[in-house]
Amino acid sequence: MNLFVRFFYTFRRWSKALKMFFILAGPGIIVMVADNDAGGITTYTVTGAKYGFSLLWFLILLGPVAYYVQEMTVRLGAVTKRGHAEAIFCAFGAFWGWFSILDLILTDWLTMITEFIGMTAALSIFHIPPWITVVGCCLIMVGMIMSGRYWTWEKIALFFCLINLIYIPCVFMVNPSVKDIALNCIPNLPPGGFTNELFFLLMANIGTTIAPWMLFFQQSSVVDKGMQVKDIKFGKIDTAIGSFLTVAVAMCLIIVTGKLLYGTEVGSAAEAAIRLMPMNQYIGSFLAIGLFDAGLLGAICISLATSWAFGEVFGWSHSLNNKIREAPWFYAYYFLVLAFAGIIVLIPGAPLVLITLFVQICATTLLPAALVFLILLLNDEKTMGKYKNTLYENIVNIGIVAVIIILSTLYGISAIFPNIFN
Amino acid sequence: MRISSKIFRTMVESIQEINRKYKKPQIQMTLFVKICLMALRVYLILLIGVMIFKFVTML
Repeated sequence: MNLFVRFFYTFRRWSKALKMFFILAGPGIIVMVADNDAGGITTYTVTGAKYGFSLLWFLILLGPVAYYVQEMTVRLGAVTKRGHAEAIFCAFGAFWGWFSILDLILTDWLTMITEFIGMTAALSIFHIPPWITVVGCCLIMVGMIMSGRYWTWEKIALFFCLINLIYIPCVFMVNPSVKDIALNCIPNLPPGGFTNELFFLLMANIGTTIAPWMLFFQQSSVVDKGMQVKDIKFGKIDTAIGSFLTVAVAMCLIIVTGKLLYGTEVGSAAEAAIRLMPMNQYIGSFLAIGLFDAGLLGAICISLATSWAFGEVFGWSHSLNNKIREAPWFYAYYFLVLAFAGIIVLIPGAPLVLITLFVQICATTLLPAALVFLILLLNDEKTMGKYKNTLYENIVNIGIVAVIIILSTLYGISAIFPNIFN
Repeated sequence: MRISSKIFRTMVESIQEINRKYKKPQIQMTLFVKICLMALRVYLILLIGVMIFKFVTML
């Protein structure tokens, strides 16, 4: 009897905790899955086609890196109840605040364009004209926020996250060697040794794993959702699941392209999807659908990250729980970002390659600043109280941030001077 | 014309208010914080210098 009672109460405690988790989960999963945006999908496709399964181990390492960085935004948001932009303004003053927000606007607008490029390229495989894709995406994104409820927006975003997992069944369809996958999960140097191309691809993979908008998005999302200090542990689990999913999706994509396209020169994910069509129509179609979904999810999060940041700083109402008439400026800015990115993609002869390059350079200037501010804020006793970084967290986080800063700087410089490391 | 100038004026006033509101940094300015901010300034100046160099040599 005693055992039965104990079992009953343990079950009830766990089911309550699980229910609580499902209520609070969202920001971490969304930001991490959206991290595999159109640019990310292209990077993984190119990595798989060029190096096969050889770099799977590198992606496994990137999972914890993404988790540790994003987990800090959960704590910061839950403790301060401020978004990342507002937190920077408060802690470091107007100069660093304006620098961060202006750089974020520029980086996000340019990244939004790359998301639209990915989406139009993906749907053009199904003979859908770019203008229909752009208008359709804008309508979906406007429709998502029309309800005036954060909860509705989040559930729709989670549905798109679910579609992003489309690459997982593809792995079972190509039937890869489990032994090869397992062997390449151990760090090794790919055939051909350490070349400039390998270096560029490794840095591109890091660049897609940690992007500046992710810090701003997750912190604002935690605040908008109303997460409290007591919810931090659920936020951490949410982020951990998200980082697991993002790595799983990336690995699946590398396995599929590594198995079917290994040794071929592939320039983009859309090109890979076209090449895969004659080999296996389903895999080609899944890759295109996944690319479209990745672009859409990225665009949803990026446009919101900027709108939240603007709302926080200018003091506008900036919650997805507000109706359009209650937060007109917040939604106006959201629509403006969408319209701007969509129109640019439709302009014939627009310098899209230059824009993609410029995104990398802008992110290089913003990312180190955003990461340094994050570390400093998480070490400020006045701001964080007992939730500030512990010694262990500082060792891990400062180490990660230092490596990311060095590599993203090299990535940015190699984007400016393509032959510098030859 | 009037509407646009009104919007512009409102924007300028908002920016001035933000600058006043966040004039003083709230973070405890420890030596570590000061060093980090200084390093960040140097890093950004160097990076922008590299970009300007590239832009000038491209012209």
